[in-house]
Amino acid sequence: MAGLRIEHLYKRYENDGKKKNAVKNDYAVKDLNLVADQGEFIALLGPSGCGKTTTLRMTAGLEDITKGEIYIGDTLVNNLHPKDRHIGLAFEDYAMYPPLTVYDNIAFNLKAKGVDKAEIDKRVREIAPLMQCDDLLDKMPVKLSGGQKQRVNIARAIIRRPELLLMDEPLSHLDGKARQAMRTEIKRLINDIKCTTIYVTHDQLEAMSLADKIAIINFGVLQQYGTPAEVYDDPVNEFVASFIGEPPMNIIETTIIGEGDHFLFTFANSNLKIAVPERYNNVVSNGFKCKMGVRPMDVLIGGADSKGTPEEVATFENLGDERRIGIHVGSSLLMLITDDETRYKAGDIIKLEVRGEKTHLFDIETGNRIRA
Amino acid sequence: MNTASNRLSRVIQNGLLAIYAIFALFPLIWMIILSFKSDAQMYNTTFIFTPTLANYKAVLFESDYLTYMLDSLIVSGGAVVVSVVAGVPAAYALARYNFKKKEDIAFQILSFKFAPEILVVLPLFMIYQKLHIYDTYFGLIWVYQLISMPLLIWVVRGYFEDISVEIEYAAQVDGYNWYQIFFKNLIPLIKPGLVSAALLAFIFAWNSFTFPLMLGGTNIQPITVAITKFLGTDSAHYGQLAVASAISALPAIIFALCIQKHLVRGLSFGAVKG
Repeated sequence: MAGLRIEHLYKRYENDGKKKNAVKNDYAVKDLNLVADQGEFIALLGPSGCGKTTTLRMTAGLEDITKGEIYIGDTLVNNLHPKDRHIGLAFEDYAMYPPLTVYDNIAFNLKAKGVDKAEIDKRVREIAPLMQCDDLLDKMPVKLSGGQKQRVNIARAIIRRPELLLMDEPLSHLDGKARQAMRTEIKRLINDIKCTTIYVTHDQLEAMSLADKIAIINFGVLQQYGTPAEVYDDPVNEFVASFIGEPPMNIIETTIIGEGDHFLFTFANSNLKIAVPERYNNVVSNGFKCKMGVRPMDVLIGGADSKGTPEEVATFENLGDERRIGIHVGSSLLMLITDDETRYKAGDIIKLEVRGEKTHLFDIETGNRIRA
Repeated sequence: MNTASNRLSRVIQNGLLAIYAIFALFPLIWMIILSFKSDAQMYNTTFIFTPTLANYKAVLFESDYLTYMLDSLIVSGGAVVVSVVAGVPAAYALARYNFKKKEDIAFQILSFKFAPEILVVLPLFMIYQKLHIYDTYFGLIWVYQLISMPLLIWVVRGYFEDISVEIEYAAQVDGYNWYQIFFKNLIPLIKPGLVSAALLAFIFAWNSFTFPLMLGGTNIQPITVAITKFLGTDSAHYGQLAVASAISALPAIIFALCIQKHLVRGLSFGAVKG
């Protein structure tokens, strides 16, 4: 088993040598640096087309590296054939060999390597119960459900005892329930085999629940790399803040005004005012414009004697164990989550309290976090 | 009530099918009947006559029929083999790689089938004369590519496109090199399409008439051209003609029966995805 080290990784897809088109494609991956320690579970998280799968495929050796270096353990793998990188790869589309039975699909890699039959059999019988596919071994892939296919797919990836396990959006084709079950199963599996894992996903929930560390990527650039708690509580910029969390963090443009010895967030076309935490006192000034971010959990409904600003409920969603309320602040919608059992309806007036100390400030231009 | 109407509808269905079968098979039956008639009874009998094997004897043993048959086999078989060897990689390239003018090239290949053969055969005749490939196996196999190649490339391309690229990646990670992936993973997956396309290409090549008529000569005469010899200027040996036609239809029928299973699945294109 080994860690993974990615240094200054770049990827550019060449635009098929058209001479007229002198402008080169933008980098799909730009100066990516990432270190995964042995046994760590790393999630690469980002929207579609952000370069996370490209990174994974470069790590697997399925894609050329434009610039930079990838080490698995202490070995530079840039020019190694995929089969020599000691990796297991679980594909998004399962990529099973349709004419082969599940057994042969799982055994394929060992057969290609020329491992002897008894050993193959022993290992298949060992892995199959682990992925709960021991009763599927004689079936053909077409007969399997999505969840079963994904189990076989993962079994296939781990039977070779990889030093590095790569998973490319393994849950994205599963429906809600199967997805949740599979997520738990992956978690359990990784605990069992303790293999360094790179997990590509666009679902922040998967990343948050599975990963030891999350690398958030946008437009090929690594935004933040840290534990789930770090990226949730301490996002480095607006993108990370809005990508992590469901519903996402409220981010609203604000003008800060000074009032006595403290400052207040004010919003265009709204009489909502929120106290700016004191720690920001030396970075803000009267008339300072920025964006304020606050998680829906940190917006509260005040009681009858609350000093909160009265606001009109715009949307109300009852999700059973929580309720989401949307409130117009200028042209933006401020979401809040509450356990309050009251069934509000649009037009009701509630007293809005915001935990000022939980707010974040972001630069309007760059989206970068403004720190105290 | 229900079962009665069911039975009735089944009777009607089968009756209609039987009528269609008779309609479709009648020319064939007629041909086989003719092949057993002597020239003397050719015009004055219909179904009742004295069967004779004289026509078979004349065609199989007293003419060069079997040589022509062999020519047909070589030319059509050769054409299909060349199409498979060149067409499968071409289909793979068209399915997997992005290159300039890809769709134009694919369309160009398909367009070979658009023009009627008679339109291109005269210029080809002159070119073949100049290149000295007129009346050679090579020449005929080459021109038959116009018939077999487009069909093969387009059917097989569809099959390659249906195979997830990830299967290739998986095989790479599993330790196969590109050739192993191609031959051990991809070929088995496209087999139904490949087999049915190859068979159809063979039948089209076998039935081709215009090309061998103009581009074959005394050395090489596929069966379609040779059959016309039984129609002399002064006499028409319909019996022998029937024998020759009946036998020439055999290879295609035999092949088709052998791979019927593949044929049906193979030509329903993407309808059966794995």
